[in-house]
Amino acid sequence: MAYFDVPEIDYTRYSNRQLAAVPLAVLAVALLVLVGSFLVLGSPVPMGMDFAGGTELTVQTSTPQDDIAGAFDEDANVRSTGTDNQYVVQFSDSDLQSLRTQAESGLEQDGSADIVQSASSMGATFGQQNQQTALFGLVIAFVGMSAIAFILFRTFVPSIAIIISAFSDLMIPLAFMRLTGIPLSLGTVAGLLMLIGYSVDSDILLNNHILRRGGDFYDSTHRAMRTGITMTVTSMAAMLVMGVAAFVLSIDLLASIGIILFVGLAADLMNTYMLNLSLLRWYKFEGVRS
Amino acid sequence: MNPIDGVKQNWRVLLLVVFLAFSVVALFVPGGIVADSSVANDSVESGPTNLEFGLDLDGGTRVRAPVTGMTAADIDAGVVSDSGQVDGDRIEEIESTLYTELELDQADARVTVDDGGSVSAEVFTDNVTQAEFAGALQSANVDASEDDIRDGVTEQTRSEIISTLRTKINEAGLSGGSVSEQTMQDTNYIVVEVPNMGSDELRRVLSERGVVEVVAYFPDENGNQTNETVLTQDKIANVDPPQQPQGPRGQSQGYVVPVQVKEGEAAEQFQRDMERYGFLDEGYTPQGACNLPEENGSISFDHEGEQYCLLTISDNEVVDAHSMGGLADGMIAGTWVNDPSFQMGAPSQQEAQSLSVNLRAGSLRAPLDLSPERAQLYSITPAHADQFKQYSLLIGLLSVVTVSGVVYTRYTDTRIALPMIVTALSEVVILLGFAAMIRMPLDLSHVAGFIAVVGTGVDDLVIIADEVLDEGDVSSARVFQSRFRKAFWVIGAAAATTIVALSPLAVLSLGDLKGFAIITILGVLIGVLITRPAYGDILRRLLTDR
Repeated sequence: MAYFDVPEIDYTRYSNRQLAAVPLAVLAVALLVLVGSFLVLGSPVPMGMDFAGGTELTVQTSTPQDDIAGAFDEDANVRSTGTDNQYVVQFSDSDLQSLRTQAESGLEQDGSADIVQSASSMGATFGQQNQQTALFGLVIAFVGMSAIAFILFRTFVPSIAIIISAFSDLMIPLAFMRLTGIPLSLGTVAGLLMLIGYSVDSDILLNNHILRRGGDFYDSTHRAMRTGITMTVTSMAAMLVMGVAAFVLSIDLLASIGIILFVGLAADLMNTYMLNLSLLRWYKFEGVRS
Repeated sequence: MNPIDGVKQNWRVLLLVVFLAFSVVALFVPGGIVADSSVANDSVESGPTNLEFGLDLDGGTRVRAPVTGMTAADIDAGVVSDSGQVDGDRIEEIESTLYTELELDQADARVTVDDGGSVSAEVFTDNVTQAEFAGALQSANVDASEDDIRDGVTEQTRSEIISTLRTKINEAGLSGGSVSEQTMQDTNYIVVEVPNMGSDELRRVLSERGVVEVVAYFPDENGNQTNETVLTQDKIANVDPPQQPQGPRGQSQGYVVPVQVKEGEAAEQFQRDMERYGFLDEGYTPQGACNLPEENGSISFDHEGEQYCLLTISDNEVVDAHSMGGLADGMIAGTWVNDPSFQMGAPSQQEAQSLSVNLRAGSLRAPLDLSPERAQLYSITPAHADQFKQYSLLIGLLSVVTVSGVVYTRYTDTRIALPMIVTALSEVVILLGFAAMIRMPLDLSHVAGFIAVVGTGVDDLVIIADEVLDEGDVSSARVFQSRFRKAFWVIGAAAATTIVALSPLAVLSLGDLKGFAIITILGVLIGVLITRPAYGDILRRLLTDR
């Protein structure tokens, strides 16, 4: 059976500046992508139905996939689900009633199953409000997390290191969404919030080992890494499996939570053990001790 | 080791076992432990567990829509005197000014006084602008400008709508439906969730205003046929289920909904009106009084001669017209007021049923705005929901297997890995038991929460295991305790951040995500308080000699 152990990295070979450069560069690229697309396209990430309004139908039909869009008056985006003859059709229009009627009259029934298996529509105004509420929730969660970080460590540098890492943990998956075209949905917002909670765990662990315990800096770091990387890798594996399985089976909510957390946790590995660590080392050896 | 010491040393494990046992009972024993036993008998589900499923996993329809209308709140209308006395005549005066100025139906405007004595005027239509509304209020000598008017209706109106809709949905024989209120960005939404109902049907129920009235149709002094409302919902005390009366020749004559008019003033007023409009005049014959022709199934008012009809009107549509029948005899004899029963006609059983429901539930105070731009609709067939249920189970199992695999390859020691996996799973079982106990309907978002709980749970167990195994073997219980306490600081801190990060979701009304947040927060709490300490005890027993 495969055996995995956390490798010991020789941090003494790298300066703080070198260590911090990589995650900061990635963060800069991510911010560039988000700001750029905000300026060019109007929103930092593509907005899904939950936030932009629209309709989504899951249809069961023997009509071939290529002909499905033709059954509707509106522009339709058709995607096959994991099940035979089942498709998800998305529209930017939110008039569910007429789209439903069009589906029922224009598509062939597959056996005795209902043509429209599920239908969901979101008014544009409603989506707008969702957007503001979601943003508000994210900000509150982030501020709350920052407050907890300060309460736990009561010193500036270690707390701010946690906050910067968490910020980067959020920005990198957001840029990833823009680049891969994953739309922002309620599911991805949940993933981002979960990420705030999850990603901070490994930072807290690292800070705790280095600051609150005695012993050599590199020993403490290695111990924290052994635990922390096991944790993060376990979560990443669970999220990857959930994300991929849900994607194949077309359960969008679970797929987006899984994928976002996977990407975010990968970013967190980098941020915790390069950015956060370099800040802590600087604080421990060179920083002004209060 | 005597039993008391045994309990003392293993109380954390015992607590976990007790919680697990409770959860298993709540989950699997029919009837289980249910917070509210009256609900338990309502819906006898024949699933293998006592879990309740929401729309995503059970099928049904949800509609989220704002209420149509606008409000001028806290207006100075001279309705409430300094001593707190409410002037009913002044209210009626303002209301009638609104009806005439804005050309509204009686149901579409009203003035209310809340418990704190503040007066609000509302209109329930989209056909009036804020400026027109303000203008109409000014014509009623109310000091109100356009700035005082906001979109939406008062809290009182919303709670009336909610209770009306609840009755309507329950009357329609749909168990498990729910109606609630949600506020987002200053807009108040009414959320209606009904299992086992398609979206078209629910839409129909919601778009029906359900205003039922009885109108007298009679010739006035000049011989012109006119309409006068003689009976409205608020004058009705009691409604019976629809009946199909037998006609003189034994055949059916449509359907009727028997109602009881409120005794006293309401009944007397009705009788006075009938008398005044000539329905009780001498020479009146019960059979010939009302004889409106029917065209294509609806009643036509294109007729000759004088007609004395009682029209049943639902949402401004004439449902049925019939003559006084036996009612006149009772009124003429003067006995009717003592037992003021009355039959409303309806042409079909469906009409009669909906009439009866509307009468019992009352009319919707204001209509819901079901327009595509503002409402949210979601519906899913039971078959598709069932598919989601199986897939969720599959995804959950896959995640657990993955986590177990990673943990095992990391520790390659069954003594550590196996209890870890079992403990993480017991967290999910306890959560499921809790969900069954409080009858929380599970949706896809909850499934995501359960998977997240396994994830965070295992994370924390990894922290405990690493901390305890650190620095060589655990030789004594004391060493174990001190290391365990160190590990717990990190776990507590991590739990606090997760709870803080997810609490906005548990409070904000952000669609499906509430369930996810609640389950994850609960899972973290159960983990920190019950299962993770127990894992520590299990590890101790396995690693130390005692």
